[in-house]
Amino acid sequence: MKKNSALSRAFTFLVFLFLYAPIILLIIFSFNQNNSNVVWGGFSLNWYRELFHNRIIMRSLYTTLLVSLLATVIATIAGTFAAIGFYGLRRRTRNVLNTVNNIPMMNADIVTGVAMCLFFVAFFAGWKDFALWFNSVQTLFELPTRLTLGFPTLLIAHITFNIPYVLLSVSPKLRQLDKNMIDAALDLGCTWFQAFWKVILPQIKPGIVSGALTAFTMSIDDFIISYFTAGSSSSTLSMTIYGMTKKRVSPEINAISTLLFVTVLLLLAIINIREARQEKLALRQQAAPASLPAAAGNPGRRKPRAPSWLAKAAAGIACTGVLATAAVGAFQNTRQPVVNVCSWGEYIDEDLITQFEEETGILVNYQTVESNEALYSLLKVGAGDYDVIVPSDYMISQLIEEGMLEKLDYDQIPNFSLIGEQFRNLPYDPTNEYTVPYTWGTVGIIYNTTMVEEPITSWGAMFDDKYAGEVLMFRNSRDAMATALLYLGYDLNTTDEAQLREAAGLIADAKSRGVYQAFVMDEIFLKMEGGNAAIGAYYAGDYLTAVENNPDLAFVIPEEGSNWFVDAMCVLKDAPHYNEAMAWINFIASTEANLRNMDFIWYASPNKEALEQYPAYYEALYEEELDQETYDIIAAPQEVLDRCQSYVVLPKETRRLYNELWIKLGIQ
Amino acid sequence: MSKELIRLSDCVVRFDDEIILDHLNLYINDKEFLTLLGPSGCGKTTTLRIIGGFLTPTSGDVFFDGQRCTDVPPHKRRVNTVFQRYALFTHLNIFENVAFGLRIAKTPEDEIARRVEEALELVNLPGYGKRRVESLSGGQQQRVAIARAIVNRPQVLLLDEPLAALDLKLRKDMQVELKRIQREVGITFVYVTHDQEEALTMSDTVVVMDKGNIQQIGTPEDIYNEPKNAFVADFIGESNIIDGIMLEDKVVKMYGKKFPCLDGGFAQGEPVDVVIRPEDIDIVPVDQGQITGTVTEVTFKGMHYDIIVDFQGFKWLIQTTDYSPEGARIGVKIDPDGIHIMRKSRYSGMFGDYSSYSEAYDELNVDADAVTEGSDE
Repeated sequence: MKKNSALSRAFTFLVFLFLYAPIILLIIFSFNQNNSNVVWGGFSLNWYRELFHNRIIMRSLYTTLLVSLLATVIATIAGTFAAIGFYGLRRRTRNVLNTVNNIPMMNADIVTGVAMCLFFVAFFAGWKDFALWFNSVQTLFELPTRLTLGFPTLLIAHITFNIPYVLLSVSPKLRQLDKNMIDAALDLGCTWFQAFWKVILPQIKPGIVSGALTAFTMSIDDFIISYFTAGSSSSTLSMTIYGMTKKRVSPEINAISTLLFVTVLLLLAIINIREARQEKLALRQQAAPASLPAAAGNPGRRKPRAPSWLAKAAAGIACTGVLATAAVGAFQNTRQPVVNVCSWGEYIDEDLITQFEEETGILVNYQTVESNEALYSLLKVGAGDYDVIVPSDYMISQLIEEGMLEKLDYDQIPNFSLIGEQFRNLPYDPTNEYTVPYTWGTVGIIYNTTMVEEPITSWGAMFDDKYAGEVLMFRNSRDAMATALLYLGYDLNTTDEAQLREAAGLIADAKSRGVYQAFVMDEIFLKMEGGNAAIGAYYAGDYLTAVENNPDLAFVIPEEGSNWFVDAMCVLKDAPHYNEAMAWINFIASTEANLRNMDFIWYASPNKEALEQYPAYYEALYEEELDQETYDIIAAPQEVLDRCQSYVVLPKETRRLYNELWIKLGIQ
Repeated sequence: MSKELIRLSDCVVRFDDEIILDHLNLYINDKEFLTLLGPSGCGKTTTLRIIGGFLTPTSGDVFFDGQRCTDVPPHKRRVNTVFQRYALFTHLNIFENVAFGLRIAKTPEDEIARRVEEALELVNLPGYGKRRVESLSGGQQQRVAIARAIVNRPQVLLLDEPLAALDLKLRKDMQVELKRIQREVGITFVYVTHDQEEALTMSDTVVVMDKGNIQQIGTPEDIYNEPKNAFVADFIGESNIIDGIMLEDKVVKMYGKKFPCLDGGFAQGEPVDVVIRPEDIDIVPVDQGQITGTVTEVTFKGMHYDIIVDFQGFKWLIQTTDYSPEGARIGVKIDPDGIHIMRKSRYSGMFGDYSSYSEAYDELNVDADAVTEGSDE
């Protein structure tokens, strides 16, 4: 018997361990001294400190709190009145409406998100026609013709998905409400409105409060719906976190996730404790008539209530505060010049944004997205209303081909002259009319010197049985196919179907022989830093981040050659803030900005001054000399670049073939 | 008698196709304790809600002090209600509950304090103001509900089965209490109940209702001693209701035998319902009995025995202090004032038999049944 209970306790413990281990790990590593998620470097609060200095995170936190609070308040009011309306209906109608109300909660968030996005975009299109017509028939008011996704749409979306939760928690309270109580209030001289205010509302208040708390939690928690409705000028915390994971899961994310987890945990705890207390109260209420003296003694210990005027005043101040901040925020948005930038996570030294804002007075809405493909789909749906984007080379040529980019005004970008010759007029933009390069880098193989017998020199290592189960392959078709094409000696940009099929066959064969441990993107950091895999193909700049946590790692650009890539700034067609965008591009192209970015992200700069000055800059900053080998990995020397090739956009049929081959491989 | 305060004139209430109140006419006098008595679904609560203003009759009118007030909303009527399950505001303490109506009326604060304390004293709960609702017992909560209504000094207090949720002992105490309160404040009470004992104990006037109709209005004594039909006779107390034929004034024929009684004014040979209360029957030796029967069941009730006696297949209930064993043959004697004669109504034959189905009874009543159907209203 005893043994049994020990066993069941152990089992319970295991279940909870299984449930919570990942989160515990995340919390532990949020206190890590260094920036690894595998190697423990001692306790520190660094990442929390950094968190509060990270303006992107702080701004998105502000957005999240504002949208959650406003959405909660509005949804609570709307939901409560809806619940009262439902309550007054006939039973059959009410049941139908309740079911209708429940559907959005069951519905997949992604469906709700996409549907909302489509709805807003369709509405904006309709609005544009209406506004144009309206402005043409009268001159009194000028209606804005161009509406975009942004804070208002985000707010509307949040209100929409919050209302069902409020309804769900208020309705039962109403059903429990003694109908006689309303009659009693009317009987005692209340008008209908007074009865609502003085009796119904206080009676259903517990339901309203827990509804509001649930709504608030849902709002804070939401990612998918926000992702599709926030547009370019605002992003919530979870969107920012997701964008940051593009590069790697930094301990900063651990820190913010820990805080988010604790917040949601607290909210849930409050909701549950409230409910438990109410149940107990209800039980006592039932028991009261039977056991009068016992019950009479108990409730005396309740906390004395604050006078009601105080509570009202506090609520009033809170409301005004929220509304005022919202109003000020909206006002700022309309008056201050703005530029909307979309880039990758951890792809800029954020002090540059502050500096730019101080120098020019232009507010930067800095958004991140996780991949070229994600950016493309956002732009296609019409959800990405950005001015400046920073896509990679092959995506740029595709965007140009589809007429989605605006030509740049190079007169406003004097710093373009600092861009090295070798980074101009590249195949994706042959006449250099659309782009200013942001960074460049190479692709190579990262390997763990303790786990391989001899230095890796060939792409063959990616397909070699010798390292079966120890190899990490790209989880994106273009990069993965490139490794095979290079090994086979074919052109990176080949459109020859036979060559492509052969390359895909090579990967499929290696996969079937168990060469690959996994197909990964940023998970490569964890695996390589922790010594869990021997070989992985990835980007040079990221190798330098990884080697900080595991000095056994090495990097090579194989002898067959490789891909070198450029990410460049471009401006979207009809960008609403064109001149501001030019100012931003010029600022980022400056030598100082390039030096700081290069130091921050360890991707090479296309600015020839910055490229030259970086070793000296590094020395001045860290008081140690920059290792030549490291520098060569950041900025590959010309003889290495000569072996490398950049991607160009592939014709449609080849893209389709890529897709088909990739799907056949059965990854993802 | 004092002056008329409320009049319901030809009130009809219909939900969908169901008639809840069927052309009801009722007047209520000032300072009267009037009880609406009837089984559930008889329309008594509906009547109360019409008076309270919570319900507008489908047709018909309500007059208050001679003024038509059919459409006046509850908060404009000088009427307050005590609800069945108290309906106290659980988010307020006792003081605030009682003060609720005064606050709505914007009464000055010192007057509120004074009147609330008076009201709580009236219901024997002085000093309970700070308590929370759920800390009180059911009886105390009901007193608070009364105080909450009375503190507004209404002209009429409506009480909707206020004691139904209390246990028997508490209910008896509260009956006395309510009567005392009514005397002290001197206003009209309209009381709804399905408990006939409650109705008889407290009321000045009892209104017996069934199926949306008033069956009888009268003092408790009238209602008990002179029920108008089998429904009333059965609903108020216990009754043996036997088919009889009026031979002439003051003589009724049952079981083929003549019984002297005090009623008259019926046609000669008119079939009637004869009501005999169980306590009005004397048990006598067989040879002295007007009729004789066999005891089939004896139940000890404390103050008396309930005896079921079979008279030719029709079973009577007799309440007596004399013990008769089961199976004994007994004779009974009924004094003329113990016999009450009622005209046949649509309730005839539905009440007043304490037996289960019996063939002998059926045969015995074949003739009477034919007559009854013919004379049905």
